[in-house]
Amino acid sequence: MLRRSLRHTLRSPETMITTIALPIVILLMFVYVFGGAMNVDGAYIDYVVPGIILLCAGFGAGSTAVSVATDMSNGIIDRFRTLAISRASVLTGHVAGSVIRNLVMTGLVICVAVLLGFRPTTDPVRWLGAIAVLALFILAISWLSVALGLVAGTPEAANGFTFVIMFLPYVSSAFVPPESMPNALHWFAENQPVTPIIETVRGLLMGTAIGNSAVLAVAWCVGISVLGYLWARALFRKKTAR
Amino acid sequence: MTATKSAGASPSSPSAPALTVADVLQSGPRPPAPGPLSTSLSFAWRALLKIKHVPEQLFDVTMFPIMFTLMFTYLFGGALAGSTNAYIQYLLPGILVQTIVMITMYTGLTINKDIEKGVFDRFRSLPIWRPSPLVGALFGDVVRYIIAITVSLVLGLIIGFRPQGGVLGVLAAAGLLLMFSFSISWIWTMFAMFLRTEQAVMGVSMFILFPLTFASNIFVDPVTMPGWLQAFVKVNPISHLVTATRGLMQGTTEIRDMAAVFGWSAFFVLVFGTVTMRLYNKKS
Repeated sequence: MLRRSLRHTLRSPETMITTIALPIVILLMFVYVFGGAMNVDGAYIDYVVPGIILLCAGFGAGSTAVSVATDMSNGIIDRFRTLAISRASVLTGHVAGSVIRNLVMTGLVICVAVLLGFRPTTDPVRWLGAIAVLALFILAISWLSVALGLVAGTPEAANGFTFVIMFLPYVSSAFVPPESMPNALHWFAENQPVTPIIETVRGLLMGTAIGNSAVLAVAWCVGISVLGYLWARALFRKKTAR
Repeated sequence: MTATKSAGASPSSPSAPALTVADVLQSGPRPPAPGPLSTSLSFAWRALLKIKHVPEQLFDVTMFPIMFTLMFTYLFGGALAGSTNAYIQYLLPGILVQTIVMITMYTGLTINKDIEKGVFDRFRSLPIWRPSPLVGALFGDVVRYIIAITVSLVLGLIIGFRPQGGVLGVLAAAGLLLMFSFSISWIWTMFAMFLRTEQAVMGVSMFILFPLTFASNIFVDPVTMPGWLQAFVKVNPISHLVTATRGLMQGTTEIRDMAAVFGWSAFFVLVFGTVTMRLYNKKS
C-alpha cells in the first residue's frame, strides 16, 4: 500500500509541484515583500523558515485527505477488501506515503530557503531533533488528514476540510511574534498546537532556548496522532462494514 | 371563462377586408436600430442577471476583501506598523485596489464561457454595434466592483479606518478604481478570445495578477524592500493606482500619481481594446 501511495505521487507530479511551489511562493513573498518591514529579532528569513516548513507539511496533508477521499469514492476499497491483506494497511499506506512525501518536500523547501539566505546555526544532534519533531508533526497531521478524507466523502469536500490545517500556521508564531497580535488572537496563537512545534523547530535550528516548547510540541503531536488514528480507524470500519 | 369580443368587426366578417401577413408586418414604421449605448447596456443587464441566477459568483467579491483585510490587519499589522489601527489606515486603500483588480479576471472567464457555449456566434448575427457584447460585459462587472468597494469600505470603517479625504475623496478614489478596472479588464477579454478553456484564462490571469498585486505598495512601504524589487514596484501600474487611491482617500493626492493612472488606463484600452476587437472580428 505504501508503494501504491508513492506511485500515485509520482504519477501526478502536478500535485507535488503545487504543494512545493505554494510554500516557496509564500516564502519569497514574506522574505522579500514583507521581511524588511517586520519587527523581529535577527534576520526575518531565519525567523520565518520554520513556519514555512510547517506550512509545507500542511499543504501536503491536504493532498493526503484528497487521495483518501478519492479511494473511498471510486470503489477501489471494495476491491482491496477481497484481497488477503490487513484492513489497516490501506490507511497505514496512505499515512506512510504522506510522511515520506512531506519529508522530501520539506527538505526541498529548506534547500530553497538556504539558497535565499537561511543560515541555521546548529549542530547535527539538534538537526536530528528538528527532523524528528517535523516527522512527528507530519505523522500527526497525516492521520488527521486521513480521518478528514474519510469524513469528507468527496475529493472536493476533503480539500475544503483540510483548509483549517493549512490556516493554523498563520494564526501562530510562524510569521510574526504573537505579542504583536491583539489580545484574543495573541492568546489563541500562544495556546494552539502549531506554535510550540514552530518554536521547538526554530529553537533547534537556530540554537536558541526552547523552554517547555519541546514537551508541548511532542504532547500535541502524539495527542493529534492518537486522536487521528482512532477517528480514522472508527470511520473506516463504519464505512467498510457491509 | 368568458371570452369578450373586441369592438368592431372581426376579420372573418364579410364587411372587414381580409388581412394578409404582409399587411400585419408592414403595419407601422420600422423601429430605429438600437444605438451602441442601449445594446451595451442590454448586455450589461445580461451580466447582472447571471449574478442573480448564480449568486455564488459574489462569494469572491465579498469574502476575498473581508479575509485579506482581517488577516493582514490583525495578524501582521502589529508587526508591520506597530499597531493594527495605524496599519489599517495604510492597508485599506491597497486592499480595495487588490480586491477590485483581482476580480477583473472574471470578465475574461465569463466571456470565454460564452464563446465556448457558442452564444457569442448568436450575438454576432444580431444587427447591433459589434463590440457591445464585450463592452456590456465590462459594464456589468462594474456592479461587482461597486459591491466589493462597498464591502471593503464598510468593514474598514468598522475596524477603524478613517479617511482624511472625506466623502469626496473616497468617491473620487472609487471612481478612479472603476475606471482603471474597466481598462485592465480588456487584457483578460483579449485572453478570453484566444485561450481555449476557462481554466487557461484563469491560470494566465493569476500568473500576471499575483506578482503585480503582491510586488507593489499595497501591503508595505517599498522602502523596506530590496533594491531590485523596489525598481519593479516603482514601474508597476498597480503601485501607481494604490498611491493615487491612498492619496485621494487621505487627502494627500498628487497630480503625477493621477496622471500615471490615467496614462496606464488609456494604454490598456488603446492597446488591449484594439487587439481584442481585432480578435473578435477575426472570429466571425
